[in-house]
Amino acid sequence: MSERKKTATDAEKAARSADRKSNAGTTPDPWEACTRLEHGGDRSFAWSVREQVLDAPPEDRERIEGRLLDALRRAGLTDAGRAFVCQMLALVAGPRSVPVLAALLKDPKSAEDARYALQPVTGPEADAALRDALGSLSGPAKAGLIGTIALRGDKTVRAVLAGIQANPSEAPVVRDAAARALDHLKA
Amino acid sequence: MTPPLPLARRAFLKQSGLAAATAVAPLILPSGLRGANAPSRKITVGIVGSGNIADSHYGKLLGEQETVRILAVCDVDRERRDEGAARVNRTYGTQDCKAYADFRELNRRPDIDAVFICTPDHWHALVAIDAMRNGKDVYIEKPMTLTIEEGRAVVAAARKYNRVAQHGTQHRSMKRFHDVAEYVRNQGLGKLERIECFIPPNNRHVGATWKAEPVPAGLDWEMWLGPSPWRPYSSLGCHYNFRFISDSAYGQVTNWGAHYLDIGQWAMDADAGGPVAVEGRGEFPSSGLFSNATKVDFTVRYANGVPMTCRTRHEGGGTSRFIGERGWVDISRNRMTASNPDLLREMQAAGKKIQLELSNDHHENFLACVRSRKKPIADVEIGHRTTTVCNLGQIAMVLGRPLKWDPVKEEFVGDAMANRLRGRAMRSPWSLV
Repeated sequence: MSERKKTATDAEKAARSADRKSNAGTTPDPWEACTRLEHGGDRSFAWSVREQVLDAPPEDRERIEGRLLDALRRAGLTDAGRAFVCQMLALVAGPRSVPVLAALLKDPKSAEDARYALQPVTGPEADAALRDALGSLSGPAKAGLIGTIALRGDKTVRAVLAGIQANPSEAPVVRDAAARALDHLKA
Repeated sequence: MTPPLPLARRAFLKQSGLAAATAVAPLILPSGLRGANAPSRKITVGIVGSGNIADSHYGKLLGEQETVRILAVCDVDRERRDEGAARVNRTYGTQDCKAYADFRELNRRPDIDAVFICTPDHWHALVAIDAMRNGKDVYIEKPMTLTIEEGRAVVAAARKYNRVAQHGTQHRSMKRFHDVAEYVRNQGLGKLERIECFIPPNNRHVGATWKAEPVPAGLDWEMWLGPSPWRPYSSLGCHYNFRFISDSAYGQVTNWGAHYLDIGQWAMDADAGGPVAVEGRGEFPSSGLFSNATKVDFTVRYANGVPMTCRTRHEGGGTSRFIGERGWVDISRNRMTASNPDLLREMQAAGKKIQLELSNDHHENFLACVRSRKKPIADVEIGHRTTTVCNLGQIAMVLGRPLKWDPVKEEFVGDAMANRLRGRAMRSPWSLV
């Protein structure tokens, strides 16, 4: 017993000694590193997060969802990092994510990423968030939003869409999207 | 950039008048205006996407001058569209073929009957749906769509607008593939035990990192990306190489898998259905621009228990091997072998109980159906089901767990995450609606 203890202590000493000679830094936290992702940069830490998301059993997805939402709040979040996190949220997000994504959806800078995450989220919370954003977005982003709303089959928005289609001050791309959405929701 | 509201072709013609329509193209009337069944009429064609895969379509269609006229070419790369239009005009000895940067302009020409869609995969569904909405028949290069949801939307559009829509899986129009599928369907191999498909590996590699580059003059990068998530331009991730990036395609799973798995579907009589289970493991690059599997290995299983595997093979190219209790038959584009030569002789015997439709030319089959309004040999429902098999394999490899699939509901059973991978939101302003 004492011999084993002595051996372990020696190994620990050797490890500490090696640490002192090493110029390697501490392994980054992938959940933090993925928020600093840049296009063209090393995405191996984002890959690590992705693997955790994909492997999460159903009972663990709420925890994973929470970690992704935390990642969205981190200082230094890059555009590519936000896009990545939202793509991961598209796999696990539920009603809990909706308030965070709803806020991002109203900001033209983050609307695309938020809509990507929100589109597959079922339930009235997501429907309401998407409808609410109609008043905040314009141009192509609004057209894309209309497409998402129609694809989800939210028929409560038909009157709003009819108004958009008839509004000459809306961009043609938006009026086109409203017309197609109305046709889709008519079916 | 955004044209006016899309109008159905009939409404367009009614609104604009025939005189206006013919003013656009006074020499060639679309067959729809003169009776599509008239054999003397030329079918007027537009080609969207004028790169690598379009080359064979140019060759074929330009060789059919008695029956086909290419009126328009579209590509977001000016050099490519200009080259395409010049090739057409050089062949015809005219200057009639026009080059477009935006497919929606081409799709709204009332004098075009059919559109050949040869873009990167992430554009297939949107271009096809827009064309059909505007009254065009479509020939869609393989894979038919990027996602399962897109595939169902394309089929819905074909039915809604009553269009002829062919998937570009031309093995369906090669006699040897027809013969094998028919032989298997007639129990020529006895009880079928399994199907083994091999596909080539991803044949390009880039390093762990990459650099954004200035967009070349004449390339509309925003339009090239279209519905896929935004990224800066890199020459490594544009023409041809797009297939190795999962935002645009699923590598050889959908590139060659669409051909070889398609014959398996045909032989399994699964053109209106598909497998009920899938499992697989792929090797995916954890960094770098390319994101699709460098090593593919998945198995789908049909309701009768027969499995169909799809694996990467580094030498020998693609094949489908059908293995039954009487032996095996192995088929590729350029050869067919069997465990016993008698099987190949039997295959050619007449009088089989089940006789599959025979087409000897995929283009001619499509063009004939444009005239007859019959469904083509690789109708989009068939194309969608084959592309779904590719997608099932891709999703199973991404998730790394066995999945159950309901081919009627087109849903995974009991796996919410897998179901979310059936589709994806498109970048604005694009939408399947």
